[in-house]
Amino acid sequence: MMTDKGAAELQTKELTINMGPQHPATHGVLRLVLDLDGETVVKCTPYIGYLHRGVEKLGENRTYLTALPLTDRLDYISAMVNNQGYCLAVERLFGIEAPERAQYIRTMVSEMSRISSHILWLGTHALDIGAMTVFLYAFREREWLLDLFEMLCGARLTTSYARVGGIRNDVSQEFIDSLYRFTEEFPGRVEEYETLIDQNRIWLKRTKGIGVIEADEAVNWGLTGPTLRGSGVSYDVRKHAPYDAYDKVKFDVPVGKVGDVYDRYRCRMEEFRQSNRIIQQCIEQLPVGPIMAPDAPKLTLPPKNTVLSSMESMIHHFVLITKGPLAAPEGEIYSAVEAPKGELGFYFVSDGTGRPYRMRVRAPSFVHASVIPRLCEGSLIADVIANIGTVDIVLGECDR
Amino acid sequence: MTFKHLVKTVFLTEIVKGMALTLKTMLTRPVTRQYPKEKRPAMPGFRGLHGLVRDQQTGEARCVGCGLCAAICPSKCIYIYTADSLDHKKIVERYEIEALRCVFCGLCVEACPYSAVILTEHYEYSDYSREAFYMTKEKLLANWDNYMGWEKNMEYFKKFWHPTADDFGFPKNQAVFRGKQNAR
Repeated sequence: MMTDKGAAELQTKELTINMGPQHPATHGVLRLVLDLDGETVVKCTPYIGYLHRGVEKLGENRTYLTALPLTDRLDYISAMVNNQGYCLAVERLFGIEAPERAQYIRTMVSEMSRISSHILWLGTHALDIGAMTVFLYAFREREWLLDLFEMLCGARLTTSYARVGGIRNDVSQEFIDSLYRFTEEFPGRVEEYETLIDQNRIWLKRTKGIGVIEADEAVNWGLTGPTLRGSGVSYDVRKHAPYDAYDKVKFDVPVGKVGDVYDRYRCRMEEFRQSNRIIQQCIEQLPVGPIMAPDAPKLTLPPKNTVLSSMESMIHHFVLITKGPLAAPEGEIYSAVEAPKGELGFYFVSDGTGRPYRMRVRAPSFVHASVIPRLCEGSLIADVIANIGTVDIVLGECDR
Repeated sequence: MTFKHLVKTVFLTEIVKGMALTLKTMLTRPVTRQYPKEKRPAMPGFRGLHGLVRDQQTGEARCVGCGLCAAICPSKCIYIYTADSLDHKKIVERYEIEALRCVFCGLCVEACPYSAVILTEHYEYSDYSREAFYMTKEKLLANWDNYMGWEKNMEYFKKFWHPTADDFGFPKNQAVFRGKQNAR
């Protein structure tokens, strides 16, 4: 038995612990240093950089064509969107545009990528919070999409599919049919996920009122994507600065109200349906025609059958591969796309050579990692996991 | 608290619904595969282990050693050493790929004007030493013999040796949506 006097002498002390970089719930190699008072988080400091590969610096040493595979490895679960973002930025720098069919196909595969990324987010987020079943259901559909990617371009994750001025290869009829089947079945599958967790009382307890961030503050932190839309700000690059075929398809931008973990979850669940809608419209409207822009600005490789028969083509082929596109205009450009995580921007400074003078990647995960302390401080340690999951960061993109 | 809410709280309706879905799924066919026993066939054109195309007429590698694949390779893992033969013809002495550094982007296939380098569909090649992944010319030719061959080779190039003239024009039989009925 402890006497009153003994209790008065007991001292509490803040406890500093490391969460990560090998913690399974920190989604990659994020390290959080938490100062705890009991179970309450007093201070939270994220440390990043464990996955730094110097993508931006590497980009300066590659030509505009060969830096493309680097972008696969930024946000490695939605490589299609990264490829699209990179190619769009380079196309805008050079002032060319991909043909209509290529634009539709790019839009289509980007939305597939968004679904597959959100599926991974849903599965792992639910798994972290304690609902394991959703993970297994979600990965069933992800497998279908990854198989389709493999059918399309020969790789499941690191796709390298978009090309500057178009796409790598045309889609097959088998792919179109299978994808259409997917879009017909997928809304039913989303309902299944919702049956499992949407009204589940444990899920609601773990998500409602957790990690609340108001609209003004979310904008001030620089949040984008579903993380921002959960707070009720309707900002979507696809709507506000349409690129590729997004101005030709109809879709809504779902927004939340409160800005807690649950609202952000609802936003992403709605995005499943909207992305599905976009894919369906893209398939239905898919035009016939070229998939590569004509090589007028000397940016795309010449057709293979002319390389060995036409002198100009051969010279062009060799110069483009060894030196890069020489017709690069001087100047700078910022171009953004709506990645599954938020606004993914590419900023190029060109000095007229075949390589970018500077390539800067505005990665949404990097910005979102900075908001984690704001969401976590003052909450319980168990909610740290929910907060990391809800901002949906990928460290490959964060550390670059 | 409304009556509906009370019923929900007492009878755990949402949990019962979730459990019912799980039970229903238990009766369907599993989607998982017993991997090492049951292998998953790679899709045609999967970007796997490298190979060098063997020329049908000469039986040697089709590569002429122009070095474009090495130039475009983003991870710079292709090494080509050429020399002059006695009759002053350029010969490829060594053609080597460091498979461990390769990122399997397939740009080398696109860069090659002779369609001489490919990625085969083979993807299970783990080993205990690093030497096994240093692909010499002989190994690459053997890879092509074992995992590609002529029939697959043509299919592969149809898919990945791009851009072709078709990509800049209006080819026949482009894939389009053919109505809901035909999508099955």
